[in-house]
Amino acid sequence: MAGEPPKPDAKDVRQGKALMRGQILAQNSAYIPAAALAARKQYLCQAYEDGEYLKNKASKDQGPANLMADPKAMEAMMGGMKSQMMGIVPQTLIMGWIQFFFSGFILIKLPFPLGLRFKQMLQSGITTPNMDVRWVSSLSWYFLNLFGLRGVFALILGSDNSADGTRDMAAMGTMGAAGQQPGQPQDFHKQFLSLKDSLAIIYHEWDLANVEQRVLVKYGKQSRLFKSSAE
Amino acid sequence: MSSPLELLAELRQSSERRPLETLKLAAPVLNTGAAARAGDDRWLVYEQVFVAAIDDGDMDLAKTVLALLHKQFDGSQRVRRLYGMYNDAAGHPEAAKKLYDEMLAADETNVLASKRLIAQLKAQGHVAEAVGRLVEYVDTHANDFEAWLELAALYLRQHLYPQAAFCLEEVILQQPANHYFHLCYAEINYTMGCLDVALKEYLRVVELSTDNVRGFYGVKLTADRIRELRSRPKKEQPAWIGAAPQPAMLERLAQLATERLVAAYGGAGAAPKRAVEAWLSE
Repeated sequence: MAGEPPKPDAKDVRQGKALMRGQILAQNSAYIPAAALAARKQYLCQAYEDGEYLKNKASKDQGPANLMADPKAMEAMMGGMKSQMMGIVPQTLIMGWIQFFFSGFILIKLPFPLGLRFKQMLQSGITTPNMDVRWVSSLSWYFLNLFGLRGVFALILGSDNSADGTRDMAAMGTMGAAGQQPGQPQDFHKQFLSLKDSLAIIYHEWDLANVEQRVLVKYGKQSRLFKSSAE
Repeated sequence: MSSPLELLAELRQSSERRPLETLKLAAPVLNTGAAARAGDDRWLVYEQVFVAAIDDGDMDLAKTVLALLHKQFDGSQRVRRLYGMYNDAAGHPEAAKKLYDEMLAADETNVLASKRLIAQLKAQGHVAEAVGRLVEYVDTHANDFEAWLELAALYLRQHLYPQAAFCLEEVILQQPANHYFHLCYAEINYTMGCLDVALKEYLRVVELSTDNVRGFYGVKLTADRIRELRSRPKKEQPAWIGAAPQPAMLERLAQLATERLVAAYGGAGAAPKRAVEAWLSE
């Protein structure tokens, strides 16, 4: 019912890995000789600009892909919405159950007096304007305990305990939000272009420029590194 | 005293192929009940034993182990690839190829199947085709440094040194601290004649891996060769000679290399030591 996980596409993988390759080059450019870096820089900058690695080279200038047009993204959205639908049904049942059984009567009298503003909070569902605020309706008491005792449970049972009912409600909430906004599809062309810019300005500082001195120091033939490696 | 299971796990980690050792270690594990007690590890052991068995030619054992794996992981891609390997080893490459093609048709990014197809081509001697396929593979999976290494090895078989150097550079970009890759890169550069890069890379090797004998041999050879090139007339010198270290520095490096090599062979007995010293003093 929730649908198959999306089949990986070679073009997607290629896109992602090409981005990673550029990032690794930017990060580790110090470890290869200058000529190697220059060749890669030139090739990759050109390739990124041309959209060589893009999944859909032809449409690179059209901005982020229209979600409706990409069947894979559609499936991902549908999958999310389907699981959200499944989640809604039990939640609805539970809320209905609670509403039916636990509304319309008073449960508890609070030991301390409160102002009139709390009437709305503590007596939801009961329409008697004159009743003292100290009487709490069952529904309100339920919600009060649900949210109020969360902290106490966390303290006693440690976090991530199963006595926390708000977790299910939060899950329902996030499913609803996620179903509506499946997240912006990454705009690879923009990312490629920004990576191209950062690659273009790399200044090559070869890690091995003074390796001769470092080795001599390591094996005790020289006491310390000198600024100029020219001998 | 490590248990057989621990030793097998170490072999898996280093991904060395040592069929005889593996089979010897695994025999008690398989025959007694130790396998069942090993829990989920035992499937890894079975896979390891399978590969060792087909390496060794023990097809019956391979078949038994494969049946066990198939029973547990029905429909698994990993097990299917093992079936392919079995067919390859038993001499039915077409059946194996069909299986790999099926796996790729179902999922075009299946790394196991792609790699097996390339390995088949290599085993059958179609090196050029294997190179072509592998180039396609690294075009898609650019961060698989083992694939780059394999491509470098294939290029070296064809003596295509610049291409092999390119592949090693990709590997070094991904694993800059591994001295072995620097060593391979240094040797390729030495063979190509790019001695300035070779010297630096050999020095990097001995920096990363103390007293690395191959590294020091490389340092001595390149330092001597560069000194020799510098003493030649200007027009015979290669283009990069300006970037290479000065003779005094080369002298110091060669001396260091000689010293460390003699020390490395110190415990090897008189005859090897004399041979090394004789060679080094030339």
